[in-house]
Amino acid sequence: MCSGHSARPAACSIYANEVLTVIFKTNGRADIEAGLFFTFFGAATAALSLQYRMGTIAAMGPGMFPFILGLILAVLGAIILVKGILGGGEEARPLPLWPTILISLSILVFAFLLLTVGLLVALPAQVAIAMWASEHFSWKRVIALSLGLLAFCYGVFVYFLGMSVPLLAV
Amino acid sequence: MEFFNNLDIGFHAALSLNNLLFCFIGVMVGTAIGMLPGLGPLATIAMLLPLTYTLEPVSGLIMIAGIYYGAQYGGSTTAILVNLPGESSSVVSCIDGHQMARKGRAGAALAIAALGSFFAGTVATLLIAAFSPILAEVAFLFGPVEYFAMMVLGLTAATLLAHGSFIKGVAMVLTGLILGLVGADVNSGTYRFTFGSFSLTEGIEFVAVAMGLFAFTDIVANIRNNQTREVTAPSLRSLTMTAKEFRQAVFPAVRGTAIGSLLGLLPGGGAMISSFASYAIEKRVSRRPEEFGHGAVAGLAGPEAANNAGAQTSFIPMLTLGIPSNGVMALMIGALMVHNIAPGPYVMVSNPEIFWGLIASMWIGNAMLVVLNLPLIPLWVRLIQVHYWVLFPIILAVCCVGLFSIENRVLPIYIAAGFTVLGCLFWRMRAEAAPLLLGFILGPLMEEHFRRSLLLSNGDLAIFYRSPLSVVMLSVAAVMCLIIVLPQIRQGRKVAFEEEV
Repeated sequence: MCSGHSARPAACSIYANEVLTVIFKTNGRADIEAGLFFTFFGAATAALSLQYRMGTIAAMGPGMFPFILGLILAVLGAIILVKGILGGGEEARPLPLWPTILISLSILVFAFLLLTVGLLVALPAQVAIAMWASEHFSWKRVIALSLGLLAFCYGVFVYFLGMSVPLLAV
Repeated sequence: MEFFNNLDIGFHAALSLNNLLFCFIGVMVGTAIGMLPGLGPLATIAMLLPLTYTLEPVSGLIMIAGIYYGAQYGGSTTAILVNLPGESSSVVSCIDGHQMARKGRAGAALAIAALGSFFAGTVATLLIAAFSPILAEVAFLFGPVEYFAMMVLGLTAATLLAHGSFIKGVAMVLTGLILGLVGADVNSGTYRFTFGSFSLTEGIEFVAVAMGLFAFTDIVANIRNNQTREVTAPSLRSLTMTAKEFRQAVFPAVRGTAIGSLLGLLPGGGAMISSFASYAIEKRVSRRPEEFGHGAVAGLAGPEAANNAGAQTSFIPMLTLGIPSNGVMALMIGALMVHNIAPGPYVMVSNPEIFWGLIASMWIGNAMLVVLNLPLIPLWVRLIQVHYWVLFPIILAVCCVGLFSIENRVLPIYIAAGFTVLGCLFWRMRAEAAPLLLGFILGPLMEEHFRRSLLLSNGDLAIFYRSPLSVVMLSVAAVMCLIIVLPQIRQGRKVAFEEEV
């Protein structure tokens, strides 16, 4: 759902909304998704390992061990998938969509702004985006938390531990 | 005599003013965070790891250990006062501890928990000091074959005893092993799975993995979770327990210590399992089992002692063999590696001050918990009521600045963002993330030992069945896998974990 509550970014279209609702809100079977993930991840690992030298069992090249792991994982993934399809699987937990996106985004934005503009901007930006994911968003709280955190991070990381965190990277 | 000599080295290291300070900080921060909602010891330690990188190795480890048992203790306080477990190992303490609090014995319950934990901590510290050297002797006899077999056993047992589906746990271990292989291959120098990025040649930063999977994923999972917390605040005067309560607590605490010390040693064991086992046993041996669930002293003292003992003895396999038995120990190994100390039997010989200092600090930390925390209860009560919306931006920002400060690079922050998304998907798929972390830490080591074993045998896989030790360990692992497939036992395991939910 795009609009879990009022202060939500309303950028997504109704169509995208429905697709995302199906992906994130329906209580599908956890094992089907997990099975697909592990099968894909295992197969991809095995496939990517092929570009490295395999060697022999006695003198293994760099490709052998990941290749074996990838194969075993793909097989396990297939078993989990089959179990899920046959109905023996667990129910998936409902993942809150907007918090997932906003929290991840806040981390990415922090990383991007830290070296381009500096901590003085990166930290408040992160706090604002992350707070948006909560029902308790208010600009007053964002400002208060940002100021407190800036003082804390400066005190602990820069002053006390002597690390070089760019406050303003111009 | 050597025993006392060792402890002397340890106390000498741990009692330096600097290390005492870091032990104190660790214990306080650990307690505070153990009490806060939705922040377990794993997330806490991941969050604070970058801070310890700039410290001396001994101080850093002492602080992390302090956070671990501080969090243990903080979790019990919340369990008793609010009926919400601060973390998983204090689930059992909710049952009788909170009932005691509701009967006006909150102070006594907290005192029993604190003293029980302290007693268990003292015994466990002595056990570690006595048995670690013996276990390390055994570990010196291990070749690559035995090490590989032991890792297989350790990972199997850890997955079996972690909650959630077993097969998904194994898949998570494999995923972790694969992720651990990213970077330069030790033998050939080939860059594997780096996708052309030079920054990945040293592998994926493990703090970024831990933060993404635990701290950040927890935030997403908890952000919409508005629990109101009603605190049964004790008055300071009621902190003393009656002679009768003391008598009722003594034997359960002793039994709990024994159970916890034993279960903590097993791979996959540790605080949580110990507390469940102790509660079950106390209920069985009690002459008045009907009191359990209505504020039985034994139902609090036993599990509290057990979870502390278990938390502490789980350090033994980590320190002597280099095998993490749970997620927290995996983080400890990561922290050791950052300081270029390879965990295993050699630590005791090459860095005795680290090894014995850490052990001595456990006892000091436990003593600090008793002395400091009981008077500070009014402060903790206020802390429990902090809103989550204040908390999560703090966790986010401190983690991100910490990630940057590791190497003054932003790449770990981007990686952490990726693992946050992955962690959320795992959470949705009900795949426990702790086994992934174990695999991630052990991945390169396991490959190394596997390759070396087969090099020694000239490619003959039968080498794993020629060493008697290896046969035993691999057979135990195989039996464990078979057992889990049998429906009857799977049912029993389900029941054991259902109590927690």
